[in-house]
Amino acid sequence: MGNNKRYAIVLDSSKCIDCKACTLACKMENDVEIGAESYRIWVSLKVKGSYPNVSMEMEPSQCQHCENTPCQSVCPTQATYKTPEGVVLVDYDKCILCKACMTACPYDARFPSHHHHAIEKCTFCYHRLAEGREPACVETCPPKVRVFGDLNDPNSEVSKLLATKKVSQMKPDRNTRPRLFYIIG
Amino acid sequence: MSHSEHAAPKNGLANLITYNKDIPAYPYIIVGLILLGIGGIGALLALFKGHAAVYNVSREMPWGLLIGTYAYFVITSTGLAFIGGLAHAFGYEKYGKVSKRIVVMAVAILLAGFTQIGLELGNPLRMVWMFITPNFKAPIFWMGIFYSIELVILFVELYLVFMPNKSNHKLSAIVGFFALLVGTIATSNLGYVFGSLNARPFFHGIYFSTFLVISGITAGAAMLIIVHNIVFKGRIPSELNDTISSLAKLMGMGIGIMIFLYFWKIMSSLYTEPQGSYEAVMAMLAGPLKLNFWIGEMLLAVFIPLIIIVTNSKNPAMLKIAGISFMIGLFFTRYDFIVAGQMPVLREPLPGSGVIADSAGLAIYSPSIVEWMVYALGWGVFLTLYFAAEKFLDLNTSEHH
Ligand code: SF4
Ligand code: SF4
Repeated sequence: MGNNKRYAIVLDSSKCIDCKACTLACKMENDVEIGAESYRIWVSLKVKGSYPNVSMEMEPSQCQHCENTPCQSVCPTQATYKTPEGVVLVDYDKCILCKACMTACPYDARFPSHHHHAIEKCTFCYHRLAEGREPACVETCPPKVRVFGDLNDPNSEVSKLLATKKVSQMKPDRNTRPRLFYIIG
Repeated sequence: MSHSEHAAPKNGLANLITYNKDIPAYPYIIVGLILLGIGGIGALLALFKGHAAVYNVSREMPWGLLIGTYAYFVITSTGLAFIGGLAHAFGYEKYGKVSKRIVVMAVAILLAGFTQIGLELGNPLRMVWMFITPNFKAPIFWMGIFYSIELVILFVELYLVFMPNKSNHKLSAIVGFFALLVGTIATSNLGYVFGSLNARPFFHGIYFSTFLVISGITAGAAMLIIVHNIVFKGRIPSELNDTISSLAKLMGMGIGIMIFLYFWKIMSSLYTEPQGSYEAVMAMLAGPLKLNFWIGEMLLAVFIPLIIIVTNSKNPAMLKIAGISFMIGLFFTRYDFIVAGQMPVLREPLPGSGVIADSAGLAIYSPSIVEWMVYALGWGVFLTLYFAAEKFLDLNTSEHH
């Protein structure tokens, strides 16, 4: 599938209302098992300052689909691989559960799945993309925190946001070149 | 000593079997079998209940005791292969005199290590994919390759030391050299298995690749000193005195280099608080791993053996204590380095983040009973195989080169 797309998500955390619809949608869509450590995406809640000068900040996140991919680099069987669009996936049948990828991922985005008997993580809902649908977390979010699209298409919403907004990426010091961008202004 | 004489075997394996009534191997074989039993139950629990149900490793700490014990065993084996290589390839006659013990022990301890990784991997059978769709850039791929080659080389060495034949000297030298070389590559690559983890700065750099090789050779020397004391009941035959004191020197030198490496690793992880390394080293110096570090790593693996080696270099009984102290301490060395490197959590443990950490923000881990049982399996494999070899094979090398 030699297409020319480069998928990414741009997030505006300031819109997040911490409703957790995205985490739930992800669990339902991908049949992610129940368990404190079994989750593909999360919403962290940061409380800043002290009473009476307090504020709250939400930080929704997931696998960053790193362009320089620490998890894929250490996977001995190529169970972890990248699609032509740069989506990082796991071929469950090849995973020996050595957990090197979990240890290598700077974002703690991976976990062992009992269903698949393999390592699992966010797939950008790759199975939906061919049908022209967006990832479940993107589609479900009421205030539209996440925008999904193709970085190679200058007219895509993600390209426009990146062209006009100030953004940051998580842990830039890790040199992973994430495909998740956070609007900061 | 009335060990059976070594008769050059001509008619295959049967001729190799002997019975060494003076070697007190049975207590070790019995302990080995008990540990095998305990470990066997642990292995069954892990296989049937699933790793997640019986191991305490977690999302925050994916690698635990079994990676530590895997490293403990396989690195000791390559350390032994290194010492064997010095004998066969570089003419260190003092080590040549114990070459059979070196090779047999290296094989037994490598197999012990394989039990640990076999039960640590969730799907060991899928390793076939390492050959169908290998990732040549992945250090774990090379770990599999190098340790497998090492096992094959050690089996060839085993064949050569038990079937000595004058024309084989050159071959022994070549095989011994490759055991040393591949073993060293395998172990330094194991350092790179950790060093290649982008998320874990504590493991980055040359430190672990070097430290693992040096501490492995030291462990090999320690194990040889211990078993010679056991086999000869503390009365080392005079022809082996220089071997034992040379092994003690090797141990002392190894510990000396370890101190040097420790010092600079700790300094460079403390000063200016580099993120990831600082938290890991502090976990060892003053955090949840402090008893392991100060008592296990420092007291047992460094100070006690070093003081004994310096003050009692010609006293085999004391050297045996140094060896045992080192091998106990080394367990903590291996365990701590794996655990400490993963302790700094990768995301803040905020509400909603899913991250589980202690109040200092470090990942929480202590091995489960089943993990300890699998560790027992490793010792069971080693003790049973090695001491059965002592009892039923002639491991004295009558003459070398
Ligand atoms: S965030 Fe982690 S799992 Fe996702 S691509 Fe990067 S390293 Fe891999
Ligand atoms: S756990 Fe599976 S996906 Fe991760 S590195 Fe090992 S084989 Fe690859």
